[in-house]
Amino acid sequence: MNGLTLDWSVVWQHREQLVAATGTTIMLTIATMAIAVPCGMIVAALRLYAWAPVRAAATAYVELFRNVPLILVVFWAFYVLPIWTGLGLSPLATGLAALSLNVTAYNAETFRAGLNSIRRGQVEAAMALGMSRTQALRRVIIPQALRRVLPVLASTWVSLFKDTSLVSVIAVTELAYVAMQVRAQTFRVLEMLTAMAAIYWLLGYPQAKLADWIQRRYAVSE
Amino acid sequence: MDYSVITDHWRFLASGVVVTLALSLASGVSSIAAGFVVALGRMHGPRWLRAMIVLYIDSMRAIPVLVVLVWTFFALPIVAGITMAPFFAALIGLTVHLAAYAAEIFRAGIESVRPGQTRAALALGMSRAEILRRIVLPQAVVRMLPAFGSFLSVTIKDTAIASVIAVPEFMRQSETVQGQTFQPIEVYTFAMLVYFLLLFPVTRGVDLVYRRVAHLGRS
Amino acid sequence: MSAAREAKARAKAGGPKIIRYRGVIKRFGSFTALNGVELDVHAGEVVCLIGPSGSGKSTLLRCTNGLETIDGGDIEFEGALLPKDDRALRSVRTRMGMVFQSFELFPHLTAQQNVAEGPRTVQKVGQAEANRRASAMLAKVGLADKAPNFPSALSGGQQQRVAIARALAMEPDVMLFDEPTSALDPETIGEVLNVMKALAEEGMTMVVVTHEMTFARRVGDWVAVFDAGRIVEQGPPAQIFEAPATERTRDFLSHLGWSG
Repeated sequence: MNGLTLDWSVVWQHREQLVAATGTTIMLTIATMAIAVPCGMIVAALRLYAWAPVRAAATAYVELFRNVPLILVVFWAFYVLPIWTGLGLSPLATGLAALSLNVTAYNAETFRAGLNSIRRGQVEAAMALGMSRTQALRRVIIPQALRRVLPVLASTWVSLFKDTSLVSVIAVTELAYVAMQVRAQTFRVLEMLTAMAAIYWLLGYPQAKLADWIQRRYAVSE
Repeated sequence: MDYSVITDHWRFLASGVVVTLALSLASGVSSIAAGFVVALGRMHGPRWLRAMIVLYIDSMRAIPVLVVLVWTFFALPIVAGITMAPFFAALIGLTVHLAAYAAEIFRAGIESVRPGQTRAALALGMSRAEILRRIVLPQAVVRMLPAFGSFLSVTIKDTAIASVIAVPEFMRQSETVQGQTFQPIEVYTFAMLVYFLLLFPVTRGVDLVYRRVAHLGRS
Repeated sequence: MSAAREAKARAKAGGPKIIRYRGVIKRFGSFTALNGVELDVHAGEVVCLIGPSGSGKSTLLRCTNGLETIDGGDIEFEGALLPKDDRALRSVRTRMGMVFQSFELFPHLTAQQNVAEGPRTVQKVGQAEANRRASAMLAKVGLADKAPNFPSALSGGQQQRVAIARALAMEPDVMLFDEPTSALDPETIGEVLNVMKALAEEGMTMVVVTHEMTFARRVGDWVAVFDAGRIVEQGPPAQIFEAPATERTRDFLSHLGWSG
């Protein structure tokens, strides 16, 4: 290195801010999943079992949000949602809404694929016992589908954790935003950006490994 | 709602689309090439290399693209004592991040070809390199098509994040137009449409191709 | 076939008809899978359906409990036409037990839970009664000790026996077997066929689609030979296997290397 002076103490000095921001990141992840899992199930059910216009609408929703960049959805939500809903939403709420819209679409696809992957023979065996469609769903299909869906949900969680960084563009005080603010204030670019990367790494790495474990544990072999 | 703002600035916006496509293509190609090398290193390299590669791949699963891009553009020049154009920084950052994803697709694809195929080829007297080239890779390529369809989609979506480091791709150009004309709804709705029209055919197209050739990958 | 057994079979043939197939037609698009099937199944009879693959045997079975709907003709069960209404059809299904070629045990439930599932969820007999029946049926097929095991821990033959227990736990009036041993290793085929034989000896009405000619010969009371969606010949096993009346039957049996 050519005579640059590094001052890593900036990270320590701003630790309270960074910890709070990390908390926001974690909270955003949890809150988004708390919304997107049940909503994803509903949308998947609509796609599979509702009558035609509703099925089409649900499919359109899923295809739309899987085929536009999340960062654009964040911006779009920031400007459009207040007008559509008539509410003055905080950046945090807007960010949460954008993330939820996005992850719900992905989860809907996950649940739909999970439900469809159950062999037809299982449904027939249930029907041969005299079960109704609902009973077959509840007792035979969904318990099996849940097992298939769990590893994918874990993977979606890991991606979501990273995606929360994108709401920084609308000034939500999560980790990426706060780290970059501190950088701007203190001019300690290398230190702050490296610290930001390191914090994401420290939190994200174990989550990725956990997702791997879930994948191994619940992997379905036919 | 007044969509004339779009027509008024269409050239500016179109230039953004060109940059988006260029960045997508460039980072797609380079990350696939790099990913292939990384995958080979992981499957056939010495132990220390394999450990480092696994660390790299898992790190990219933990660190957001935004963070990698920002670090590459702002921090790397400090460390390396160079200056970097935004496009180039984005290209490097995206390649580093996406190569890990591509490497995993390659590894999964190659490992999914049944070991019986390799055994049969060995029995015929083929070398390992020949087997990889003539028997395993052709089948693996077919099996990997759907995953690479997703990969392409992710690549294009990630280029939009490059707007944060001022690359003049479509997202950034849209932001600029919106900032000048104060019509964010029209501009961003149009942007959603453009990206959708770009991405939807990509995944559908890959799906269609895959369905035609899927039988070639089944053993 | 021994004289005693022949006499027994003839007595059964005079009994009440549990299932009647009259001119049954089933099409899949432009392909006609069943082209006018006529067959009666009497109480306590073991009717075996044999014939080449794709001749419609399995399709007929699946039409019997409404898994497929027919396009022409009638199927009568215990004197009444098969209902079209979903609720009524489900009720009919509880009186028929079906065993599948691929077993189709529910992988997320233990053997005990698999067998208890029907009585519990469909017949709503209560947990205690469902468990009692499950234990009894598992013991009947010789797998009482495997009750707490998941299907993945059981061999193919064991899984199929659990599947039979699952169907029996519903206390059906007829058992439908769709190639029950086709997916099994040769060593385990015997254990399943023995269970089916014991069931037959107890007087259960059975319709069995099978390639096991020895079983059809020794346990069956009536054999129907299928070809291209029709029954080309039907009669007691003695006739079908020793003195077949039609060319098609002779061809089919010789292809199987059947030498009596």
